[in-house]
Amino acid sequence: MMAQQHASTPIVEGLFEIVAGTPKLIGSQCHGCNTIYFPQALSCRNPKCRDKSVEQTFLPHCGTLYSYTVQRYQPPPLFRMDHWSPYALGLVDLGDGLQVMGMLTGIKLDEIAIGMALKLVVEPLYSDAEIGEKLTYKFAPAERAGAA
Amino acid sequence: MTRSVYVLGAGAHPWGKWPDKPQLQLAHEAMNLALEDASLAWPEIQGLVAASSRFEGGMGWGLHANEVVQSVAEQGIPCINVGGACAAGAVAFQTAYALIASGQHDVVAVLGAERMPKGFIPRPPGSPDDISDSDYLRWVAMGATNPAYWAIEANRRKFDFGTSDETLARAAVMMRKNASGNRLARFRAATSIEEVLASPMVADPLHLLEICPVSDGAAAVILGTQEYTRKTGRKQVEVAGCAIATGDFGDPARRIPTVSTNVLPNVSHTSEVVNAVNRACEMAGIGPEDVDVLEMADNTVWHLLSWPELFGFYEPGQGDWMLDNGKLEIGGQLSVNPSGGFLSFGEATTAQAVLQICELTWQLRGEAEGHQVPNATIGMSAVLGLGANGGSVILKT
Repeated sequence: MMAQQHASTPIVEGLFEIVAGTPKLIGSQCHGCNTIYFPQALSCRNPKCRDKSVEQTFLPHCGTLYSYTVQRYQPPPLFRMDHWSPYALGLVDLGDGLQVMGMLTGIKLDEIAIGMALKLVVEPLYSDAEIGEKLTYKFAPAERAGAA
Repeated sequence: MTRSVYVLGAGAHPWGKWPDKPQLQLAHEAMNLALEDASLAWPEIQGLVAASSRFEGGMGWGLHANEVVQSVAEQGIPCINVGGACAAGAVAFQTAYALIASGQHDVVAVLGAERMPKGFIPRPPGSPDDISDSDYLRWVAMGATNPAYWAIEANRRKFDFGTSDETLARAAVMMRKNASGNRLARFRAATSIEEVLASPMVADPLHLLEICPVSDGAAAVILGTQEYTRKTGRKQVEVAGCAIATGDFGDPARRIPTVSTNVLPNVSHTSEVVNAVNRACEMAGIGPEDVDVLEMADNTVWHLLSWPELFGFYEPGQGDWMLDNGKLEIGGQLSVNPSGGFLSFGEATTAQAVLQICELTWQLRGEAEGHQVPNATIGMSAVLGLGANGGSVILKT
């Protein structure tokens, strides 16, 4: 029981996985048109695609910041975070037209710049004595050259 | 074959917080005003279409039209209750329009009445707590509030077009200035760029006074045939175009409550509303250049700058110049939200699109006391709702 109390688990099952030390967002890719969806989808949504069947895939874990904001008010209770303070939310372009929203980390709020290179990381959001530590995905500054 | 449809009457309860008036009472008062405006009474109403709320009333099943009819005039008429979130009023209008244009009925009422809960709109009950529900995911994984989505759009606009914080604030100042002459608006005190920028930052770059709050309100319109509008003896206001639409795959808009977007080239931003506007224009046989008054959903100041560009009123990025040079004020090149908009009313979600049509009716009749656009003959509404719902109505005299 003690071990379980200290388990770290994703905030929502099926959102991401750590593969060989690297966090990966889990999405779905269409067999017909190759479009990648996040999170995992029931079906392809491309109206021109006739296949529609999808399979699980990992998303690219590096991208560039398309836009962002800083949330100055604490969101309503469904959101839970230890040591709340204003934080940035970014919209990150992962390539092939796929843009994913997520919290930004590892950067001062006044140093965030559209176009900056970012990489996917996983960090604790809150700890709970009964359910353990809950992890969410975030994006952190990355070296631009050679990022893959 | 379709018949021409006219707005016979319009009525609205003032927007605000009305803790002592149940939603049903707000609905009755709006309906009574619209009936009076049309010189009609319940016996003449052949159908009622309601924009259904998820917050209060409707017997828990969104049966708002039934609730109203059962409480005031049980007369066997069809009651239709439509969803469409914040665009529900436009969906209701489209439904009533079709009932008359098709020849099925001669006089049909459209109603939206809403009392909103306080603060951030909470997640509705009944959805699964897993990745299949975006509205769960966006809260638990990142706490993305609605203003955060709009703020991300606004920040990108600043990057793309160099929009200044002062220009964003000026849009809020203009809405208050317009509202100062509108007795139905909730926030009617003039404000200044300095006051807007000094209001608390909610989500950068959007301040409190640049984001629409929530309100209680109700609005109703009565639609009918030409024969009926002649009987009223009033200036005729015809429905020149009306359309509802949903979004296109590849639309770059940050759609609440999703956490990702699949962006494709050459797909319109906010395509659900652009599609509705284009279809309404096509039906009316007009272009944006013909529109004198635009009543649009200004959930934030960003919407005021961007939406007219998306609809083709002018080039992307030109909204800043238009606003800064007074071209969007009452009597300007394009009068945008002479009512004062959502920023001055606060959003009573499902009632909002019906209110837009009331406002256009009054503008075209020359009855918009205190905020009249001179010589307005063509008015357009545009609204967006959750689930990629868009609606647009074009009225003409």
